[in-house]
Amino acid sequence: MAELGRAALIVSLGLALYAALAGFWAARNRRRRLADSAGNALLAALGATAVASAVLLSALVRHDFSFTYVASHTSTQLPLGYSISAFWGGQEGSLLLWLLVLTAYGAAAVLLNRRSAPDLVAWTVPVLGAIAAFFAFLLVAVASPFATQTAPAQGAGLNPSLQNPYMLAHPPLLYLGYVGLTVPFAFGMGALLARRTDERWLVATRRWTLFAWTALGVGQLLGAHWAYVEVGWGGYYAWDPVENAALMPWLAATAFLHSVMIQEKRGMLKVWNMLLVILAFGLSLFGTFLTRSGVVNSIHSFTQSSIGPWFLGFICVVVAASLALVFWRLPLLRSKTRLESLVSREATFLYNNLLLVAFCLTILWGVAFPILSELVKGESSTVGRPYYDFFLRTFGLPLLLLMGIGPLVAWRRASLRSLGRTFLWPAGVAVAVGVLLVALGAGSSSPGLIAYTFSAFVLGSIVLEFVRGTRAAGSITQLVSRNRRRYGGYVVHAAIVLLAIGIAGSSAYGSSSSRKLHPGQSMRVGSYSLVYRSLSHVRGPNDLEVRATMDVYHGRKLLGRVYPGKNSYFAEQQVSSEMAIRTDWLRAEDLDVITDQIDPNGTIYFKALVKPLVNFIWLAGVVFFFGSVITLWPDAREERRLASRYALPAEA
Amino acid sequence: MQRRGNPARLVIALSVAAVLAIFLLYTSIAGGTPSLQPSQLPGHHGTVSLGGKVVGPVTGNAHDTPLRFRLRDRSGTASVPVTYHGTVPDLFRAGREVEVDGRLVNGTFVAKPNTLLTKCPSKYGAK
Repeated sequence: MAELGRAALIVSLGLALYAALAGFWAARNRRRRLADSAGNALLAALGATAVASAVLLSALVRHDFSFTYVASHTSTQLPLGYSISAFWGGQEGSLLLWLLVLTAYGAAAVLLNRRSAPDLVAWTVPVLGAIAAFFAFLLVAVASPFATQTAPAQGAGLNPSLQNPYMLAHPPLLYLGYVGLTVPFAFGMGALLARRTDERWLVATRRWTLFAWTALGVGQLLGAHWAYVEVGWGGYYAWDPVENAALMPWLAATAFLHSVMIQEKRGMLKVWNMLLVILAFGLSLFGTFLTRSGVVNSIHSFTQSSIGPWFLGFICVVVAASLALVFWRLPLLRSKTRLESLVSREATFLYNNLLLVAFCLTILWGVAFPILSELVKGESSTVGRPYYDFFLRTFGLPLLLLMGIGPLVAWRRASLRSLGRTFLWPAGVAVAVGVLLVALGAGSSSPGLIAYTFSAFVLGSIVLEFVRGTRAAGSITQLVSRNRRRYGGYVVHAAIVLLAIGIAGSSAYGSSSSRKLHPGQSMRVGSYSLVYRSLSHVRGPNDLEVRATMDVYHGRKLLGRVYPGKNSYFAEQQVSSEMAIRTDWLRAEDLDVITDQIDPNGTIYFKALVKPLVNFIWLAGVVFFFGSVITLWPDAREERRLASRYALPAEA
Repeated sequence: MQRRGNPARLVIALSVAAVLAIFLLYTSIAGGTPSLQPSQLPGHHGTVSLGGKVVGPVTGNAHDTPLRFRLRDRSGTASVPVTYHGTVPDLFRAGREVEVDGRLVNGTFVAKPNTLLTKCPSKYGAK
């Protein structure tokens, strides 16, 4: 079986190389049939990669330990779902998944666009082929998932902290996002190579970018929820390099999604869009490099491996080649129109882009800081949480404000007087909310207060947009279905507001306390008092579960009980804290209780945290997904309109 | 295309300048924390982030009595005694790689409370 997998990968490498080389030759010399054949090679590469993936999957499911990969990532006791998740649990499998997703995206993008934009696709195929060839090469020569050995009786199993349903969704979604950014990149480069620098490539890739961006966003929020519920330190994001690795391409893609609208509407920012798509793709490669090379210290310690230098080389080649290409085609990228006023829709999009990119680059600076300081000072330094929090506030709060302003400003040029009229309602709402919050005592944190006031302003302007639009269109369904991208976008904006409310609430207005308690003693946290009643030991299927029983009081009223504790796993000889979470929907806050240390005599060091509004973050995930689906939903009328606008002249 | 007086260029230039200004401001206040291994520790008096492998015996419970252990270079023999208070991660034990912030006081690394981090034992790979 392993031979079949190896052979399939070699075939896949050959096909990808053919797609790259023959595709390049065909596009250069305008050989239509050869170009078609290169495109078909990409489709066939998907087939070959799928065969290889099926081989690995079946080996995982059958626990065939003669595969080194299977033996080191599963065991016979591992449930089926987690055996499957071992596909992306290790490096070789992740690379195979990358290649599979890449060829699938590539094949679909080629099939969907080869009729309507043959000249563009002819140049996109070699780009996709070259990227696929790199991954196939790694899988064939450097990190093969099909290495074999004499089968041991038992495999190494999967780390208990990964045996979690989130493991089934979080990594694959991130992969869908990372790899998905290849499609707009390949089309962008294809457009440059083909000298088609109009908006056709943006139309062809818009939904791909949106899809990848949605997957990346939802994947990250799932990861944050996983961390919050399972890791048990009461937080959800730690600015760890591996987390940042997913956030950076998402921010770059967010900037790209906004700036393409300017190019579509006004033909501006062509160079900028190319740079953004290069940045987004480069960062997704960099993220993979970061997690796989061990150059940066992270609490997520992945296996250090041999693919690091290959990746670094590939990133350098990709960035250098694509920047050279942009530079070479600069004369074709001159925009026909220019910014007419600093108070206009275009200008707000521009500010939004600058802030997003600035934020993205400061994170990149923070992630690379240990490497850079090592090079400059000969001693590695890290930047911590304060650095990132500072920039989150500095760039995040203006971004939040812009989200409310942008949609209400007119294209081209807006007069200040009309702006005053438009913003009367949202600004009024924001001021009222701000005053109310100060009265309620939210002034204890000024970033928090600013975030809430801005959030009210954005929500006010979104509601205003929906009201105005509905009045004009007749009904809200009419309105949304006629302009899915716009109104879906507003729903996504509302999700970002919820996210901001959740982050600000849980970080700026939270409280915590830790105390050593004997049974019968109590502690206070926020407006709660907690009484430690008793300790119990329960033997689970593969662990010993120790739980404290605590009564939760608010004033004199008993609200309920929580059971924080620890599990000791026998086989893995590992202890894991089981944080108790009590969600109070009425007060919109979570009470988290952690047992820091349990002494044999029953004394416990408790840590209790109150996290106001933290559930808004998860709610934001749902709304975000909903809004993205609206924007992604196929729209035949719009497709026809755009296709005819960018149709080729008669000769094609 | 007219080159002079393009507001887009102006905005970009101004924003870049503003970002740089904020950046310089920030780095002048805060800056980074050096991250070192035990062998690099001598000669550093300020707060550093120390990384390495835990060497037993581990004593104390980090609450009433300080948690005491030695930290050794990841690949080396130099080591330093460490005292720590606060939350001890589940994965902490002798042999694990950890990171902790603090400073050297009279030959002992005194850690800041609640800064101890363990690295997951090769999260996505076999040990």
